[in-house]
Amino acid sequence: MTDTQIDDKQRQAEVAQAPAAGEDVRRFSARWFGDVAIRYAMVIVMVLVIAFFLYRSARFGTVDNLTTILVAAAPFALIALGQTLVILTGGIDLSVGSIIAASAVFGSLTAKAFPDQVWLALGTGIVVGFIAGAINGLVVSVIKVPPFIATLGMMTLASGFAYVAGNGAPITGLPASFNGIANTQIFGVTIPVILMIVGIIGLAIIMRRTAYGMRVYAIGGNPLAARIAGVKVGRVTFSVYAISGILAGISGVMLASRVTLGAPDLGVGYELDAIAAVVIGGASLLGGRGSIWGTALGLFLIQTLNNGLDILTVPSYWQKVIKGILIVAAVAVDVWATRRRSR
Amino acid sequence: MTPEAATTTLPAPHADDDPTMLRCVDLRKAFGGVPVLKGVSLALEPGTITALAGENGAGKSTLMKIASGQYRPDAGRVLVRGQELPTGNARAAHRLGVAIVPQELASILDTTVYENIFIGREMRNRFGWLDRRGMIREAAELLSVFGVDIKPTARMASLPVGLRQIVEIVKATSAGARILLLDEPTSAIAEREVERLIGTMRTLRDRGVSLLFTTHKMEEIRSVADRVVVLRDGGLVVDAPLAELSDDDIVTAMIGRELEDLFPDRTEPSDDVVLRVTGLTVPPKNVPLSLDVKRGEIVGLAGLVGAGRTELIEAIFGTRQTVSGTIHLDGKPVKRGRPEASIAAGIALVPEDRKGAGAVLSMSILDNGTLPRLSKFTRAGWLRGASRSQQIGDAMASVRLRSRGLDQQMETLSGGNQQKVVLARWLTDSVEVLLLDEPTRGVDVGARSEIYRIITQLAASGMAVLMASSDMPEILSLAHRALVLRDGAIVGELSRAELDDPGVQDRIFRLASGLNDAAAAVPSASLSEPSAPKDATDD
Repeated sequence: MTDTQIDDKQRQAEVAQAPAAGEDVRRFSARWFGDVAIRYAMVIVMVLVIAFFLYRSARFGTVDNLTTILVAAAPFALIALGQTLVILTGGIDLSVGSIIAASAVFGSLTAKAFPDQVWLALGTGIVVGFIAGAINGLVVSVIKVPPFIATLGMMTLASGFAYVAGNGAPITGLPASFNGIANTQIFGVTIPVILMIVGIIGLAIIMRRTAYGMRVYAIGGNPLAARIAGVKVGRVTFSVYAISGILAGISGVMLASRVTLGAPDLGVGYELDAIAAVVIGGASLLGGRGSIWGTALGLFLIQTLNNGLDILTVPSYWQKVIKGILIVAAVAVDVWATRRRSR
Repeated sequence: MTPEAATTTLPAPHADDDPTMLRCVDLRKAFGGVPVLKGVSLALEPGTITALAGENGAGKSTLMKIASGQYRPDAGRVLVRGQELPTGNARAAHRLGVAIVPQELASILDTTVYENIFIGREMRNRFGWLDRRGMIREAAELLSVFGVDIKPTARMASLPVGLRQIVEIVKATSAGARILLLDEPTSAIAEREVERLIGTMRTLRDRGVSLLFTTHKMEEIRSVADRVVVLRDGGLVVDAPLAELSDDDIVTAMIGRELEDLFPDRTEPSDDVVLRVTGLTVPPKNVPLSLDVKRGEIVGLAGLVGAGRTELIEAIFGTRQTVSGTIHLDGKPVKRGRPEASIAAGIALVPEDRKGAGAVLSMSILDNGTLPRLSKFTRAGWLRGASRSQQIGDAMASVRLRSRGLDQQMETLSGGNQQKVVLARWLTDSVEVLLLDEPTRGVDVGARSEIYRIITQLAASGMAVLMASSDMPEILSLAHRALVLRDGAIVGELSRAELDDPGVQDRIFRLASGLNDAAAAVPSASLSEPSAPKDATDD
């Protein structure tokens, strides 16, 4: 009975010879180059952007400037990672910017109350992030409110709490220990940058190599099929919002520590940059497609552009125009490539 | 409500002298290397109804999609009243007067009937505003021509599917279509709506429209067609006036002599019951259902659309919630409403809607093969490497999957091969009960016979198989036993001996439709006169 395999040596030989559906593209043909160019379009764009800035500015290529890019990228990186998980399930998390604000304010208040126990402040940020993310997750997976609406509500709510907690004013006079969190260097690299790098590599491996990663992809690709395959769709959905919230919470404390201010307007609009990074990285907002590496690429492309255009003293308004074009172009290439593949 | 007014927008009878409305010449088409049409030619004359008959996967839908410009043929031409149709151009086909009413209607359900009819060519008054009153009046006239009592201001969603279909037909013809292609028009509609549909088709024929409709039901061909074209396996096997053909001619042409080749021999089931369902009550019908399936037995579930076959299968698997009842597997109870518990107990499901529920198309074959057995292929949450590829590769090889490798994306596989993955992904561990829902829907003939062979072999290896199917030959030839469902209840059980009886199709049809007297079982008798007003009131 356990032998459900249909053994048949001869048949297996036939399988090996059976014609595959679709045809293979000959190597180094024009079509092959086309496929490769589309597949790695963002990498090529990234290389071109870096080459352009290196050519135009001597300062761009310095170690100092690289550090600047990494430090600027770190708070975005954490929420972009969480956002990737949420988008892979077919959802979206608009609340991460506000969670950063709430976590920054509550974390700062904790730091002032307990200046000697600085990790308590980080813990507060994580708890704030988890609570907000968990509420998002429950509202989406249990009550089945569309993620856009659920997290839009949380965005307003968390922002409101951030202002309430500080009576509308930024929390100032933070202890030096708290300011040290984001500015302590280990091997010449600050803690947020280390968190970013560990987060990207760790999550990339988790998404590729664990059952959890596969479940996230599956429920984004086809929730019904995932359910039939025994995946507990509700639990996984809950988890991605909770993770996104926790990462935003950590990001909030790091940001407050770096700017030495617990401001209720920290992180405003960050969610859109995070979503942009995920989308530029090739993820589909419908879920099921995308990767952590793609998000990292999208993130660094945006940050490199910001940095390079600053160095070239391009006015910030024009920077916005360029970023806007980039986002739409990235998705347009992706849509076009998908259609080309399915033809 | 004057018919004269309606003729201004409906094509007038015999307006064109050109003898042939639509001519297809030597059409060929292959998908992923599998030929679906192997050189088919046919001609539609004005004012005729042609039945395009054939089994599932014979190439009927593909032919229609080429004729209506949705697909580009690999070779061959389509001529509309002598004018060459630029192939693969749906807009050009529309302009030349070719309209298709697809199996899955593309109605806008949240709007009204008249808005659906006039969408894209809305009537305007002299100020350029929408002339809603005019459209409602016009829609009422158009609908009255077909003798159907549909309020133009009714919401589309409130109509039964059969009436939506008629609205779609009215929309197409009022927009100037002279050639109407109906893809499986009766597959999703209730029996009494078929009469109305046939009345509508006759009205159009009398106005000079050429109709081509696909079907595999004898009685529909008899009651409405002038000419019959039979496709089998992508080739044209019969093209003759209905009067020259007997029922036997048509059926033999449709099925061919491959019926024996298509279905493998069955092996005898054992006596011990593997799956025992007792008093399982599935909303919304809430009829307690009980059934047994023995080791090695294939039990077919027959019934009309909406009889509750899919619901029963889903309830057993746990993806559908149930009110009460018990499910036992090898004597041990299985928790209801918990797919993961069913999987752990050894139940596997191959769902009806392959793309919608069976596979995650954006993932690879390997990952789709991993998903239902994640705990087997992971250690402490981490995916295993070589053993995973090895076992899934073996399972896929056992069903003769044709792929470029386990890393190939599901969405690039043909329908038949996708179905093989959806089935084979369960085979990496022991399966006691295999639940199949329409296992060969949308699968080409070649792959179908392979799927039948796989099912038979799996049963022979000791699985209990429960298979819901709308395909009568599938149940008659594969199953050891068949259950007939109607309105959520099991209304009949047929043994193997009864399934071999020549009159069994008629008997199943009568059980499934609830007709008990012989006279009512012959639909053509009641189909001769369209009697719409009577029917329209009882929905």
